[in-house]
Amino acid sequence: MEINSLKFIIFVAVVILLYFLTPKKYKWGILLISSYLFYWINSNQLIIFIIITTISIYLLGLLLGKIDKKLKLQCENVTKEEKKNLKERAKTKRKIIVFVALIINLGILGVIKYFNFFCGNINILLNLFNINIQIPSMKFVLPIGISYYTLQALSYVIDIYRQKIEADKNIGRVALFLVFFPQIVEGPIGRYKDLANQLYNPHKIEFNHIKNGTLLAIWGLFQKMVIADRLGIFVDAVFSNHLQYSGFIVVCAVLFYTFQIYADFAGCINIVSGVAEIFGISLAENFRRPFFSRSIQEFWKRWNITLGVWLKEYIFYSVAFSKWCLNLTTKLNLKLKKYKHLAKTLSALCPLFFVWIANGLWHGASWKYIFYGMYYFIIMAIGMMLTPILKKLCKYLKINVNSKKYKIWQILRTFFIVNIGMLIFRAADISSAFSILKSMFDFSTFGEFFNGKIFTLGLDVGEFIILGISLIIMLIVDFLQEKNYHIREEIEKRNVVLRWSIYYAGIFSIIIFGIYGKDYNPSSFIYGQF
Amino acid sequence: MEKLVEILKKYNPDVDYYTNEHIIDEEALDSFDIISLVADIDREFDVEITAKDIIPENFNSAKKIYELIERLS
Repeated sequence: MEINSLKFIIFVAVVILLYFLTPKKYKWGILLISSYLFYWINSNQLIIFIIITTISIYLLGLLLGKIDKKLKLQCENVTKEEKKNLKERAKTKRKIIVFVALIINLGILGVIKYFNFFCGNINILLNLFNINIQIPSMKFVLPIGISYYTLQALSYVIDIYRQKIEADKNIGRVALFLVFFPQIVEGPIGRYKDLANQLYNPHKIEFNHIKNGTLLAIWGLFQKMVIADRLGIFVDAVFSNHLQYSGFIVVCAVLFYTFQIYADFAGCINIVSGVAEIFGISLAENFRRPFFSRSIQEFWKRWNITLGVWLKEYIFYSVAFSKWCLNLTTKLNLKLKKYKHLAKTLSALCPLFFVWIANGLWHGASWKYIFYGMYYFIIMAIGMMLTPILKKLCKYLKINVNSKKYKIWQILRTFFIVNIGMLIFRAADISSAFSILKSMFDFSTFGEFFNGKIFTLGLDVGEFIILGISLIIMLIVDFLQEKNYHIREEIEKRNVVLRWSIYYAGIFSIIIFGIYGKDYNPSSFIYGQF
Repeated sequence: MEKLVEILKKYNPDVDYYTNEHIIDEEALDSFDIISLVADIDREFDVEITAKDIIPENFNSAKKIYELIERLS
């Protein structure tokens, strides 16, 4: 059941009705049952994996909580030395429990998502050393949302380990936190402290929630069905046959893909957040106008925000503040006393390397995604290394770094780097990515701009006009939001005729201009496959 | 406390660490500075700051950092 399908709209309508008709005490139960039903419809018996994850983190969380409580009691009326020993023993136990949680949950994800990739590479190595053993590949079906709920599950256990939250005694609340039905598809990746009680506590029917949630979901559908799926036609035509195209057409395809993946992913998040808002639940922000970023660091603070926060909290911090990394930092600080910036950069690059490997692998089990992660790692490393030089250069050339022109230059530079990243992301493999990148700079074919070839790749002139207008609308919306303009509230202030004209225009543009597949089947979301 | 302020000055000498209570919020120190700072504190004060302690509330002022050190030692 795709979340841009009619079936999903009916499903949501029924759940909303049941939720608001059910007594307060049992409302969370309606959300839990409907979420499991949604999961069953989409993944059938694969539901077992999310159940294993739920039970494992619930029990291990309780165990962690128990150790903490026991330690507190034991530490009363004992000497400092005894206290230290008790703490050490508890620390070891707690570490073992977190390790078990990681093994179970990363183990499930690892086997289902990465088994064939790792075994394929081991087979290549075995072949290289003339060892005649081959590990057979296996066919796995990925349960929906496994990459998202696994991260949520791990954050729950690690937060208890870090004593940021307390273990939940209510398994229903833990289960709902992991499986909430619109969110399970593509995130946003929620944190227990922000989400669990919101989902569990009853919410009243509020007209504003229903209206605002519906409007947000309609905007998400517009982004997905009118923009993303239309761009996808052109992008698929070029990327699936990229050797036939070069220059202008390829530049368009790369640019279109960047907008496609944004409209697709942000569109999905808007549908999900809109549905949640109808229930009175506020989900974490996942996109904040990423194309207005002035640096790659800023881009990743605005794009797939919840993944970035997760990687920062649980990979960056875990590596950066581990004993070996701090020892390395100390050594660098002492050895490079005269080159403080270099020491600081090198000690930051170590945990960043792991962040980008994890980011790449999270997206998929292939070298292409690892390369994608490494691309951003290298860009960031270069950026960090060159910061003092660039500062000096700007000062020397008397460039005003706060001027509008300079900001626009930074935005365009970042956008270019992001487009190359998207090219790697979309290409079938690394060699195709290089081949496509090379063909972008074939200036001999730029005459195709005038000969109409661009209109032979699935989108005719009329389609391009619809696309152009829709993209302009999306960019205007982003621009207004960037200027702190609250669009839904502003529409609300307009007179009834204008207001309803905008609402109807939104709905009918999806019905009339939305892209539908064969037999009017909705297309999948790009990030749903991760 | 003086020893701590001396260390902090290495990262950003322009901040008055005795009065400023928003070091992190005002981005006087970034997350990469914090890694080196934690390494320095661990060495100088013989404490073990771990990932769970890395929250803005613990690093927003010299006083808060000092309190963290005292808690851990």
